[in-house]
Amino acid sequence: MKVSLGRFATFSLVVLCAAAAGAAVAAAHTSRSAADIRNGGTLTIGLAEEPDALDPTLARTFVGRIVFLSMCEKLYDLDSHLNIVPQLATALPQVSKDKLTYTIKLRKGVKFNDGTAFNAAAVKQTLERDLTLKGSVRASEISPIKTVDAPNTSTVVLHLSSPYSPLTAQLADRAGMILSPKALNAGGTFAQSPVCVGPFMFKDRVAGDHITVVKSPYYYDKAKVHLASIVYRIMTDPSSRTQALRAGDIQVEDRIQSTDVPTLQKNNGVTVPKAVTIGYQGLTINIGNKNGLLKPYSNVGSDIAKSQFIRSAFDAALDRTTINKVVFGGLNQPDCYPIAPVSPWYKPTTKGLACDLHANVDLAKKLVKASGISSPSVNLMLGGTDPVNARLGQVIQSMEAAVGIKVSVTPTEFTTALNRADAGNFDAFAVGWSGRVDPDGNIYGFVATKGTLNDSGYADSKLDYILNGARKSISTKSRDTLYRAAMQIIHRQRPLIYLYHPVNYYGVSKKVAGVQIYGDGLIRAAFAGYTK
Amino acid sequence: MGGFLLRKAGAALIVVFISSVVVFAGVRALPGDPAIALGGENRDPAVVQAIRHTYGLDQPLPVQYVKWVGRALRGDLGLDARQLPVAHTIVTRIPITLELAFLSVLIGSLIGLLAGVIAAVRRGKISDHAATTSALVGLSLPHFWLGLMMIILFAVDLHWLPASGYVSFREHPLANLEHMLMPAVVLGTGLSAVLMRQTRSAMLTSLSADYVRTARAKGLAERSVVGKHALRNSLITVTTVIGLQLGALISGAVITEQIFVIPGFGRLTLEAINQRDYTLLQGVVLVAATGYVVVNLLVDVVYSLLNPRIRVSGATQ
Repeated sequence: MKVSLGRFATFSLVVLCAAAAGAAVAAAHTSRSAADIRNGGTLTIGLAEEPDALDPTLARTFVGRIVFLSMCEKLYDLDSHLNIVPQLATALPQVSKDKLTYTIKLRKGVKFNDGTAFNAAAVKQTLERDLTLKGSVRASEISPIKTVDAPNTSTVVLHLSSPYSPLTAQLADRAGMILSPKALNAGGTFAQSPVCVGPFMFKDRVAGDHITVVKSPYYYDKAKVHLASIVYRIMTDPSSRTQALRAGDIQVEDRIQSTDVPTLQKNNGVTVPKAVTIGYQGLTINIGNKNGLLKPYSNVGSDIAKSQFIRSAFDAALDRTTINKVVFGGLNQPDCYPIAPVSPWYKPTTKGLACDLHANVDLAKKLVKASGISSPSVNLMLGGTDPVNARLGQVIQSMEAAVGIKVSVTPTEFTTALNRADAGNFDAFAVGWSGRVDPDGNIYGFVATKGTLNDSGYADSKLDYILNGARKSISTKSRDTLYRAAMQIIHRQRPLIYLYHPVNYYGVSKKVAGVQIYGDGLIRAAFAGYTK
Repeated sequence: MGGFLLRKAGAALIVVFISSVVVFAGVRALPGDPAIALGGENRDPAVVQAIRHTYGLDQPLPVQYVKWVGRALRGDLGLDARQLPVAHTIVTRIPITLELAFLSVLIGSLIGLLAGVIAAVRRGKISDHAATTSALVGLSLPHFWLGLMMIILFAVDLHWLPASGYVSFREHPLANLEHMLMPAVVLGTGLSAVLMRQTRSAMLTSLSADYVRTARAKGLAERSVVGKHALRNSLITVTTVIGLQLGALISGAVITEQIFVIPGFGRLTLEAINQRDYTLLQGVVLVAATGYVVVNLLVDVVYSLLNPRIRVSGATQ
């Protein structure tokens, strides 16, 4: 999700800079064993936003994914280290030599939550719906799939039009959620009564208030399910969420605002797990977006667009550590890359690359001088009008002033800012991305010439070649090499300047065990329960 | 009376029509493309285009307006971004806010009227000063602050009441009242302050009027003079204030419902704005505007019942 600083800022100071190792971050709240958990009870989770349509084909929101986790299993899932593991499939896909055929073996004896059989035909129908339904948000995620075959009830074969290695990661998200054909064929609006395979089944939804799911009698591994039901309450006001947790009205709080973190950490009845997320916040630099997104790109001619030296100077002047300290109270994790340290891709793709978290004023001044532009100026558009955004703008402004770059700041309402970014009406834009497990999801869309989020208007045939190569390559090692090469180019040309990775805090009652939070920031509560 | 009602209803219809135009134009005047706002994480151009088509945003504005009004007249306000019918969502939310408003008016009226009458009858005495000062404090307290303080005290520390949420009256009457008590007090506090001041002022005017002096001269008991003569006449002003304050209550409910996580109409409005959900936003604002018109119409009717001269004077105009 392209997220304004404002959105992160809403939960802004929700983040923590200490980078935890992947294993420590993952499974942040799994201290007790299943033996300590009793059966029964209702778990209430206070969500920070309201999910949109409860239809995996159409769903667009982050919180929607939290709800889906309890009632819509996927072909593949993530483990606590963010590795892809089989869920409704029995193994990772077998990929043909030409990388155009994926064979997926499915679990047998699995039932949807309406009692009908889960099988290859259902997978075929769901994937074809994802590809063809008008307004499908999944269509672009799995667009290389040309046809889907179901040679027998437990085997699905995907035929691709071109090699696409991020496909398995896509099938570990909403595109891999398989919907009940009976529910799809019923003719109603699927989102109003969604049916999938999952430990819980949809019970009801009161718009703006709550979504209730109850334990499924059809789930293939129901012995692992302890709770009788889960209620997802929509609580957009962060103070209200925290007070509700303290009062015991809810047992799990989604994304705590920073000011409440110390209070909850002192609360004996609550634990405060945290997760360094796979998202990032950065500055998008408009280099070639002169005519609008995906229109032919040509240099916009601003100081920061026309000179690579100015972009490098702009980056060198930024002190990420100070930004984190002054703007975010030291709660974020400063970094220079689109891939977060919690990702298994981080180390191999950033190996040997330089990332200076402190400003290098001398270097920045030299670069400004080398640019030949006497008094460079940059307009920085902020994706929000809140105080945290304003503070970020001011800090960057003062850092750039120290090296002779004059920054004017334009706080802009988020949607308007997106409009302006797509139209190319900006020099630099402070905006973020919620992150994807596969590196492709954090890079391709933003810097590839055909990337649908390439507000930079950056067009580089060499980078395109590398990124397309990474999409085609199946070998993890070769993908590591290609993404490392891609990041070297991005670092040199700077269509994007990455600032930090957000860290989210959550509140969990000590009466509850088994709630898991991974680096994707989703609350996993399907196998949680109340302690004995 | 019939002619009076007809004229008022006709005027109300014109106001509703104008409101629908303002609502439609106002929603479209909001900054930012709603299709992009609703386009989700990837803002896939195909998805954004599909959203534009679904919401009819790719059609000329007059066509969009006529289609929207046409469907609205048939009770169909469309599907929102959650794929849920807007009309159904609104219909389920309104009773919650009405209940909250009713309880707030009840609490506000009880406190406000009583304090206002006492302050007027005991003008210049300690009780008058106490009531006036309390009203000033009540008016000054922001809803969000008072709400949070009450939550911390009564829910977090004392565990007397739930911090947030809503249970319907039909489902569990006692739980419903438990959940609604704090929000109703928060909303009612402001109203009681306004009512106290208005009641006091109206009562002071009434108490110095000739008919009250006459009533006293006839030897009526003071309780009867105050209750039956002065207060009854003062109620005309107070009723108007309550009618006008209903609007303020619904506005205040936006904050109160947000703090207490009550799925009412106010919170729905806020969600619609935050999510740029055009269909939902148009629906809620249209219903709210119509609600205001209807409330004003009802106040006019009650007014005319309380004071027949109003409808007579209206008839001659």
